[in-house]
Amino acid sequence: MLLEFPYAVIALQARRSRRVEQIALLGLRVAAGFVIVAMIALLGYLALEGTKTFYVDHVNVGEFLFSPNFAVDSGHPGSAVYVVGSIAVTFFAVAVGGPFGIAVGVFLAEIAPRRMTDVLKPAIELMVGIPSVVYGWLGLTLLVPLIRTHTSSPSGFGLAAAGIVLSIMILPTVITLSEDAFRSLPAALKEGSLALGATRWQTITRVLLPSASSGLAVALILGIARAVGETLAIQMVIGNATQFPTNIFAPTAALTTEIVTDMQGATQGSLLQHSLFSMALLLLLIAMLLIVLVRFALRRRT
Amino acid sequence: MTEMEPSHLEPAPDMRKLVADDVNVYYGTFQAIKHASLTMRGQHVTALIGPSGCGKTTFLRALNRMHDLTPGARVEGEVLLDGEDIYGPDADPVVIRHRIGMVFQRANPFPKTIYENVIYGPRIHGERNKAKLDAIAERALRQAALWDEVKDRLNRSALDLSGGQQQRLCIARAVALDPEVILMDEPASALDPIATSKIEDLITQLTEQFTVVIVTHSMQQAARISDYTAFFHLGEIVEVGPTNQIFTHPKEKRTEDYITGRFG
Amino acid sequence: MAITAPSARSVAATGSVRVRKLADAVATIVLWVMASSIIVMLAAFVIYMVYLGWSALTPSFVFGKPLEHAAGGGIGPEIYNSFYILILTLAFTIPIAVSAGIYLQEYALPGTFRSVVQFSAESLATVPSIVMGLFGLLIFVYTFHWGYTALGGALTLTLLNLPALVRVTQEALASVPDTLREASMALGGTKWQTITRVVLPSAIGRLTTGVVLIAGRIYGETAALIFTAGLSVTGNQPYDLNPFHTAETLAVHLWYTHSESVVPDVDRIGNGSALVLLIMVLAFNVAARIAGRVLTKRFTGRTS
Repeated sequence: MLLEFPYAVIALQARRSRRVEQIALLGLRVAAGFVIVAMIALLGYLALEGTKTFYVDHVNVGEFLFSPNFAVDSGHPGSAVYVVGSIAVTFFAVAVGGPFGIAVGVFLAEIAPRRMTDVLKPAIELMVGIPSVVYGWLGLTLLVPLIRTHTSSPSGFGLAAAGIVLSIMILPTVITLSEDAFRSLPAALKEGSLALGATRWQTITRVLLPSASSGLAVALILGIARAVGETLAIQMVIGNATQFPTNIFAPTAALTTEIVTDMQGATQGSLLQHSLFSMALLLLLIAMLLIVLVRFALRRRT
Repeated sequence: MTEMEPSHLEPAPDMRKLVADDVNVYYGTFQAIKHASLTMRGQHVTALIGPSGCGKTTFLRALNRMHDLTPGARVEGEVLLDGEDIYGPDADPVVIRHRIGMVFQRANPFPKTIYENVIYGPRIHGERNKAKLDAIAERALRQAALWDEVKDRLNRSALDLSGGQQQRLCIARAVALDPEVILMDEPASALDPIATSKIEDLITQLTEQFTVVIVTHSMQQAARISDYTAFFHLGEIVEVGPTNQIFTHPKEKRTEDYITGRFG
Repeated sequence: MAITAPSARSVAATGSVRVRKLADAVATIVLWVMASSIIVMLAAFVIYMVYLGWSALTPSFVFGKPLEHAAGGGIGPEIYNSFYILILTLAFTIPIAVSAGIYLQEYALPGTFRSVVQFSAESLATVPSIVMGLFGLLIFVYTFHWGYTALGGALTLTLLNLPALVRVTQEALASVPDTLREASMALGGTKWQTITRVVLPSAIGRLTTGVVLIAGRIYGETAALIFTAGLSVTGNQPYDLNPFHTAETLAVHLWYTHSESVVPDVDRIGNGSALVLLIMVLAFNVAARIAGRVLTKRFTGRTS
């Protein structure tokens, strides 16, 4: 039997191919390792710089976290105002955008006909693509004047403006994840309810919503994470006043907006800059905490 | 189709193309194949039959080291190709799979052109000469009885072919490497009867040049095309013999029960 | 045979059933309104931006240089910087992220290294963009003493987008059925040959769509660039190729004009910049879809 490929040829090429693979694999491993290095560097540097407020400037941690006065000049920077601002604006955004997003998610998963989905889904994708600075600009040029003319707010800037802009920005996240949560429910659940004579709305509220609850929780938590980290859009409409948001039309500030507002003027090594870095560290910890919560919620569901 | 062999089953040494010797296959702690030994004769068709889950595909995949790809799978024992253990310390799976080819249950052509599918094997093994590759492509497609149907559209996507044609393309792809053994895992089970009979005729033709080991769940198919048959049950080879003998005078009761349809 | 009396039940709706059906209808209408309002709102935004910004898109605006104090400034260098930083960022992100993605999806055995890499990628994904910007400030502007640079901005954006591209790569690779990998291995291919010749070509459509969408995000990024690439553009004409100069991008410029700037025609600049950004976003979205379809067809000969 005449063989078309002599063994020697096959074996030689096999060795060559293996060598190529080894080099390629090394490159791949280096890239993967870089990801680890990047994360460690990030955490390390931020932790180092963010804690300078405490070990270089000797500010008390409790004071930093809870004092309502951002009195940098006297050496007592308290970030409570900004923390409350962040919480307030996030809460507003999720309170408005959360239910709205889940409702549209239900709509997409259960009610919308194909033609509607073909229009709505690209629209949502477009919303995701719009840069946050454009949302901020829209808020500035459209929403703030609206609030100014129609409410008691003198300038229009404030919690309400920021909250509304933010709720629009988290909509795509909440909608897509809610839709996924509903779609991943077994069809048997819906069929069982309908077969017992329930209307579609009853099925949605009594069966589907509760069953999808962990997926919806994930949607909301990720919406919160998105809101907490948002900077530019709210910085342009929140007013940037270091005061607690006593009413929703009052100007206030959040952790992210404060960093942007004051960082440019901060000299390197000053208490102000250290404080801002500490706020950044705080933000990072909050964001990571939220993701841990998400993983926890996901694990409960499976 | 084949003459009756003398009562001893050991073929002459030059006919022992592929020999499995006390092969055990484990998935983790589960033992899927137990002490399987089988001699597969050169230029003959050996069929592996048995009820579903009996391990025949697992055994087949041990013959070209496909279990290397499954994490947690372990193969013990020896598989000798012309006397050399393919699991030996110096054995290279890349080389082995050049010499022992495989056709899968569902046709899995690459989403490339027909031409590119056929010459994929020679190309990755280093062949660059376009004229040579063209010749190989024609040769392989002729061997797979597909040449006349596709010779004018070699640059069209392989996925445009019918199921039966795709499977013959996969056979062409395997024979393009001029292997010595071709392993087939239920190659016609996803095809209609006409396509199936084309594949069966093809297998008979291929035997002139290659050694074929075929897994089949159809006893009629085994009876039609194979020279030897091994009956698998619960991970063991229960009985081996010339196909005629297995189907007319099985020695083991389990074999007889399976053949007569009492289980499986 | 006796004829039985008509049954006491019929199939027509009773009062309580009608109430439930009414609730169902009302709820359905409300949901339709909510969903439609999103489309309407989006359309309104687009129309608003086009209406306001269209008149601003003169050649002197689109290609002209910005002015610090007088009216009539343009956004030419900013548009250029946006592209420049985008290309730089992709030049770093694509090799690293795709390699890491291939490693995680095709090669890595379950174990410590793999888990740590996956964990790192997921952790990096949680970092808010402003925090990443501060990290960039710390490393590139201060520690490396570069000051504000395009390169610093690009590297910061690389870190920001690595996790997303790693995930896109993994998903694109996972979408290729295993049976194709088996076929290649059974023909004696090495894993690397299988990946480069079979898996990647099959996955290229999805991969490209993902990359172009990420590119769109990079183009609009602001928070991470303010403190790394800076707020000004150099005077070099026609366009600066030096990565070690400050490079204000269009998105940053939009923010800057509306928070710090003192030029009298803030509105015009803002309207024009916002519209250009919107056009870019749309362009990237459309390009992502087209590229995905075209590449899939070319590399695999079929349309999905």
